[in-house]
Amino acid sequence: MPYRWTEAPDEKILTLWPHQSMTPEGFVWFIGATAVMLTMPLLAVLGSAVTWVLLAFFLAAIWGVWRAIMVNRRHRSLHEVLTFGRESLHLSHVPHDGPHLDWQANPYWVTVKLRRDGPVENYLTLSGSGREVELGAFLTPDERLALYDELNRLIRAE
Amino acid sequence: MADAAAHGHDHHDERGFFTRWFMSTNHKDIGILYLFTSGFVGFIAVAFTVYMRLELKDPGVQYMCQEGIRLISDGVCAPNGHVWNVIVTAHGILMMFFVVIPALFGGFGNYFMPLHIGAPDMAFPRMNNLSFWLYVSGASLAILSVVVPGGNGQLGSGVGWVLYPPLSTSEQGFSMDLAIFAVHLSGASSILGAINMITTFLNMRAPGMTLFKVPLFAWSIFVTAWLILLALPVLAGAITMLLTDRNFGTTFFQPEGGGDPILYQHILWFFGHPEVYIIVLPGFGIISHVIATFSKKPIFGYLPMVWALIAIGGLGFVVWAHHMYTVGMSLSQQTYFMLATMVIAVPTGVKIFSWIATMWGGSIEFKTPMLWAFGFLFLFTLGGVTGIVLSQAAIDRAYHDTYYVVAHFHYVMSLGAVFAIFAGTYFWIGKMSGRQYPERLGQIHFWMMFIGSNLTFFPQHFLGRQGMPRRYIDYPDGFALWNEVSTWGAFLSFASFLLFIYIVFYTIRSGKPVTENNYWNEHADTLEWTLPSPPPEHTFETLPKREDWDRSHAH
Repeated sequence: MPYRWTEAPDEKILTLWPHQSMTPEGFVWFIGATAVMLTMPLLAVLGSAVTWVLLAFFLAAIWGVWRAIMVNRRHRSLHEVLTFGRESLHLSHVPHDGPHLDWQANPYWVTVKLRRDGPVENYLTLSGSGREVELGAFLTPDERLALYDELNRLIRAE
Repeated sequence: MADAAAHGHDHHDERGFFTRWFMSTNHKDIGILYLFTSGFVGFIAVAFTVYMRLELKDPGVQYMCQEGIRLISDGVCAPNGHVWNVIVTAHGILMMFFVVIPALFGGFGNYFMPLHIGAPDMAFPRMNNLSFWLYVSGASLAILSVVVPGGNGQLGSGVGWVLYPPLSTSEQGFSMDLAIFAVHLSGASSILGAINMITTFLNMRAPGMTLFKVPLFAWSIFVTAWLILLALPVLAGAITMLLTDRNFGTTFFQPEGGGDPILYQHILWFFGHPEVYIIVLPGFGIISHVIATFSKKPIFGYLPMVWALIAIGGLGFVVWAHHMYTVGMSLSQQTYFMLATMVIAVPTGVKIFSWIATMWGGSIEFKTPMLWAFGFLFLFTLGGVTGIVLSQAAIDRAYHDTYYVVAHFHYVMSLGAVFAIFAGTYFWIGKMSGRQYPERLGQIHFWMMFIGSNLTFFPQHFLGRQGMPRRYIDYPDGFALWNEVSTWGAFLSFASFLLFIYIVFYTIRSGKPVTENNYWNEHADTLEWTLPSPPPEHTFETLPKREDWDRSHAH
């Protein structure tokens, strides 16, 4: 599930992030296997000047794929943080670059909506402070549905 | 804060022709560009072979003359071996680097791999555009290298696609340099493309789609991309050293300066053997989907199929010297390479038997794509069996550099991979164009090509066994019969290619419009079949639903 609840003494924090199918362990395995496979031709030419030329190309290949995966992970590192305090509800949308987008409202007046006319299925929004903002547009429809129930329960309890 | 947007988004495609096709960053458009460009380059490479077969039709030299090349013989002709060598080389370079890989990996891979894993596009769309145009530049240089000043005081260079030194380092003119640059650009294009595919495959799969739930075609593209990432830097290094040997006086491969020309052969084939798997693996993926669809059964043994792909890829890296049994290796080296080579038959056998088991008890429907898949299965197995014969170091002494080898690698690559390209084209052309191909013409195309290509290459086994060496413009009278047969086969295959070009343009212009998303049956169950035909410009910008792709309980 690409969202997580954490509890602090006075507040509850909900963090949401888009799905990335590669785990950090998977990255290590992939780069490791690539490096091992690339040493194979090097063993075959060890001891000649050719080794050094090939090595340069291999390092470039490893660097290229390493960097590409890292850049892709950073591009998808967008996340949203929803903080429930006693007096305030604060949502922060953190894109992979550029400034944060923030919204704050009194939880007592906030309504959670699951809209049918949104750009994605089960479009989840929060309204309060005169604005309606979206939440977790990057999640799957089922995840938004589950989140809708959890948020409603929490807001009613406040 | 991202304010709520209350309207659904209905995009209209507002791109002009130039923006859409020349500045494209859309994986589907780039895929189509790859397919058409490789088709065009393929036509040139095929035209070269038809000309070669024409020359070989009868003993003696009739068409490639010192007096000039011609299509109609006028009786007077001094043989011009240089022209022959140039055409053989160009055919090899174009087919290896600029036709089959761009069609299967660049074309179908770009179009369908992101769709299969439910990704909105490739990880780096602009890099994807760069890959395509590097490929176009490389192909242009390769074609140009045929008509600029080269060796023997004539045009073009005739050193063979493997560019062995010292032949390649002493060829005069700048044709050779253009050919090397062409391969460089092709390598850069492939490596960038591979990095893009790897990143997309690893990090952009739909939620819940774990590695062993990915459709087989996407897997085959990933393994291919990985092979490219591992093998192409070796080639890039090797030809860079050729270039400096040629132009800057280094002696990596020159014995007079302490270098070793055999070393070039080792690193060339360290790239070259994975290269043949790079060519054919995406074909395996396509064939799996086609066979499952038209047998109306899920693919037999999904997991062994994936591991077989990985095993073929891995083993492909440790068998390279079976291309060079005759250069003077020690007995134990030859023994190792012989055994390792034969081991590849195991994962390949797993795939072949799984395809047969998929058809077993299925309700088989002989639509055109299935015919091509059948053809693939038959021809690829036949080429594989002659491969086992050639893997024997002792037997290879007799067959090395004969037409038996030519027949073998054309059965696995020209027939295996090319039949997979046609299977994929007929399978997906309705999806890509929104119009369906004419079924009867498609079947005629198949039978013409099947008969034509077998007629071309099967007799070459006989020629090889009789001892006819490859790469020569002429041959003694004793080889005349099977060369004649082979040439008629090539003419028939060429005619079928012309028919194919007609079918493609007929389909695009006036084929029957496709209305359903899935115009085959429910066993075509990957994500592209949940989309309209042709798919809209943007797909899967919102994540696909799991029940759209996860069929583990459906059948």
